Amino acid sequence: MNLGISAVEFVSQAKEGVISVEEFVAKTLDRIKKVDEKIHAFITVDAQNALDKARTIDKKIKSKEKIGSCFGMPLSIKDNICTEGIKTTCASKMLENFVAPYDATVISRLKLEDAIIIGKANLDEFAMGSTTEFSYFGPTRNPWNLEYVPGGSSGGSGASVAAYECLASLGSDTGGSVRSPASFCSVVGLKPTYGLISRYGLVSYANSIEQVGPIAKTVEDVAFLLNIISGHDPHDNTTANNGYVDYVQDLKHGISGKKIGIISQMIGEGVDKEVASATNTAISKLQNLGAECIPISLDAIEHSVAAYYTIASAEASSNLARYDNLRYGFDFGIEGYEFKAFVSKARSNFGPEVTRRMLLGAFVLSAGYYGKYYLKAQKVRAMIKAQLDEAFKKVDYLISPTMPILPFKVGEKIDDPLKLYLTDINTITANLSGIPAISVPFSMSSSGLPIGIQLFANSFKEKELLQAAHVLQETSNLPEISL
Amino acid sequence: MVERKEIEHLGDLVKVDLSEPEKYIKQVEQILNYFDRLDKVEFPSDDTLRTQITTDGLRDDVYEPYGDSLIGHLKKDQNNFIRAPKMV
Repeated sequence: MNLGISAVEFVSQAKEGVISVEEFVAKTLDRIKKVDEKIHAFITVDAQNALDKARTIDKKIKSKEKIGSCFGMPLSIKDNICTEGIKTTCASKMLENFVAPYDATVISRLKLEDAIIIGKANLDEFAMGSTTEFSYFGPTRNPWNLEYVPGGSSGGSGASVAAYECLASLGSDTGGSVRSPASFCSVVGLKPTYGLISRYGLVSYANSIEQVGPIAKTVEDVAFLLNIISGHDPHDNTTANNGYVDYVQDLKHGISGKKIGIISQMIGEGVDKEVASATNTAISKLQNLGAECIPISLDAIEHSVAAYYTIASAEASSNLARYDNLRYGFDFGIEGYEFKAFVSKARSNFGPEVTRRMLLGAFVLSAGYYGKYYLKAQKVRAMIKAQLDEAFKKVDYLISPTMPILPFKVGEKIDDPLKLYLTDINTITANLSGIPAISVPFSMSSSGLPIGIQLFANSFKEKELLQAAHVLQETSNLPEISL
Repeated sequence: MVERKEIEHLGDLVKVDLSEPEKYIKQVEQILNYFDRLDKVEFPSDDTLRTQITTDGLRDDVYEPYGDSLIGHLKKDQNNFIRAPKMV
């Protein structure tokens, strides 16, 4: 049985009875048992429930009952998305034993379509990080080379898909957290337009910029999942009510006659040579297929990292105030404590990156500094959006490398947070402005490390974005993973 | 310059006992220095990004009780009270 098939292929094989769902899920669990000791993509594996659900679906298939469109496909879910009955830890000691009393909207929609949650994927604590090294439960490793980081913060999601430990995954993307692991692990990852997917049940980190996003082996699979999880949700007032869009239909529309802007600020200085060369190859391939590519300068991007980390830290420090050890948290008695001492002691269980961001957030929001940092960051955000609006008058898409550098070794940058922040330069533009962006695996470096290419489109143009991503995917010929 | 007492003050603001505040000094200082580049930006306008949403879509104002499962997740004592440490 080939665990490397796409989610869409799985559906068609399960539908036709070529494979048994139970057998596929059991083999996937065997695979997790075999490789996850090395990769550590999972925090929790829900083996028994996954097998029970698979058996039920097989019975339904045999008796020709109505079945949801996922046909029991095993998915991993980033562990900051609430799942009823399975722990949602956010990779934090603070929520080590937290079991959410409800499903996030994206989860209930997937369950309605008979998807199987095989387990919860590792992440940087509370999704704060770019490498998955800041997990309380230990780092995830890149399945292409175990000495390297898988990207982050949805590193468990990216690695589990790349290593055939599930068919697809959901991550969350606050500053590139879906696209970075997609790029570093050679899988596809989409950060949708702000408001396309419900955030109800996604543990809040930076509400004004984060979105749930699918990670899968192919662009078709991402479109398939997007059909299920996108759309208005009465539980999340920031979701748009734009009506149903079928992202799978016309996916192979092509790119002929479309205009693509090459973002000058994302392909110049500081970009790894092999990454730049892969991006140029991608651009010429798209040109050969009928797209017109022109350079576009978005100079506000130079300020984006400072603006992004100001806003993200500010929102983080406010969101994480809720972990007071009374409503959530870590268990020790109240006896002998005054209120603040009790809360402060419990909160010392946050890891170093989360603590750092809360300190920064408190600083940039404090009296006397608000105008210097936070307000200016919000103005940079408006400037970026205005420049993008202008750009999209001239072009249909924008292109850049997803990450400016190749995957690096575990531990290499962990002591230099600023250096890590700067690796987000190509991804955060989409978060600050709200527009959609996708990372498509494109090539391998000379040392066998994945390189992903990023495409952007204007807000709510996911259908067109996926069409372009599909074209790019078809131009690449990537190796199978050996693990 | 970020000093130890500033980090301790920030720790106090976010209610975290910092066992080693000095660990954060250098990194927070380095990051704030980087944020200072926002001072050099020439803004074409004072606009900030805002999104307007209509309030037509609000749900009806009807009482929807929490399910038992939600209450069950709270840390309670045998009398069903939530215990918190004393405030003053």
